[in-house]
Amino acid sequence: MNAVTRLRTAGAVLLAAVVLLAGCKDVNRPAAAPAAQGVAAVAEGPHNAYDVLFLQMMIGHQRQGLEMLRLGRTKGVREDVVNLAGAIDVTEAEEVERMTGWLTGWNEPATGTDDHSGHATHGGRPATGEEQIKALRDASGADFETKFLNLLIAHQHNAVEMAQQLKTNGQNATVKQFAERVELSRTQQIRQMLVLVSG
Amino acid sequence: MRRSVVYPLVALGAAAGSLWFGSPASAHGYVSSPASRQALCAQGKVADCGPIQYEPQSVEGPKGLRSCHANRPEFAVLNDNGRNWPATQVGTSVTFNWVLTARHATSTWEYFIGNTRIAQFSDGGKQPNATVSHQVSLAGYSGRQTVLAVWNIADTVNAFYNCVDLQIGSGGGGTGTPAPKPSATTTSPKPTATATTRPAATATASPTKAPATTKPPVPSGAAWAAGVTYRTGDIVTYDGRRYQCRQSHTTIYTWEPIYTLALWLPV
Repeated sequence: MNAVTRLRTAGAVLLAAVVLLAGCKDVNRPAAAPAAQGVAAVAEGPHNAYDVLFLQMMIGHQRQGLEMLRLGRTKGVREDVVNLAGAIDVTEAEEVERMTGWLTGWNEPATGTDDHSGHATHGGRPATGEEQIKALRDASGADFETKFLNLLIAHQHNAVEMAQQLKTNGQNATVKQFAERVELSRTQQIRQMLVLVSG
Repeated sequence: MRRSVVYPLVALGAAAGSLWFGSPASAHGYVSSPASRQALCAQGKVADCGPIQYEPQSVEGPKGLRSCHANRPEFAVLNDNGRNWPATQVGTSVTFNWVLTARHATSTWEYFIGNTRIAQFSDGGKQPNATVSHQVSLAGYSGRQTVLAVWNIADTVNAFYNCVDLQIGSGGGGTGTPAPKPSATTTSPKPTATATTRPAATATASPTKAPATTKPPVPSGAAWAAGVTYRTGDIVTYDGRRYQCRQSHTTIYTWEPIYTLALWLPV
């Protein structure tokens, strides 16, 4: 992780500027702009088209999950469900900022022509359709929690699959490390949610 | 130089071998509740399951099988009745909830007890949603039963298989509550909601939806650990630095304070 040490130094100046800019726009999350200590602010080194596609798809995927997560925070019944939704919400929002920063550093946009082009080639569609979000909005109580948890489990399984593909096809070391964290974190979130959905 | 976080090998999982991109046959899905055997493995309630714990959605095999593991040797544990699978207590009907990670066109969903098909739902080749639920009558059955739940894909020769262990009795309903599980097979670091949570540390903690159960206190400034529930305001130590919790959560690997300012603020 000596790359991280170097990047932290290199990123500090850049981050100061980012914090200033971000501070004007979003006073609610002043601490979300700087990178956490263990995460590189800049994805140094070579990268390939797959790294770009993965980051763009993950950003799209996580934005798609945000409405679901916010419903979970407000409509969940059990404290463990509400807290898990909240923690996934804030950590994924942080990840989106980080991924966007890496893409910006490569002069790439944060969104591709089709956020879910991978799903399309795969014969499926985004896991969580608008009609299912609506069903979630209309549900309440235990029924809401069952729908919410199952939708989020499917959503996070999809993230694991995307991360596994990046590890095989990507090139950039920072993005590969991130994909490993995505795979590991979503797997453990699924584990918690399977306990909650069957409890 | 900052050291890397080294995770237990078991947490990292068997990542290799996904055929997600460009593989139209990689439709996936499983029954999440009542917990299927692969769901019990994935949530850590049943230990030593092998690779299925990382891919509960992958029990795929030719249509027409009557086994729990789709006759796949790497998933043979699912067909081992000697594993003392925890059974979910249910009433005379039960709602099976499926999680689909790829939404392939579907011909039918079938449910069997023994060789008897107790329910069938036809989708006529439609693409299902990411979650699917079926209410199935268990009339005529009682005691411990294993239901084989099958998802038949319309445009491949394959199906997905799940065994769901139920304790059928009066008084229950819906998916009911889980039957007591044998403690010998329980290895999840935090299998219940009440294991390690502590009372709110400060009066200014975020409002919570349900009252917190009284939990054993975690000493302020104790070392961060996975599987522990922290509340907003709690202080932990990680790698020699102190951090304050910003959002109540139960920790997992990758949510170490060095990786997320959203959950932990250096203090």
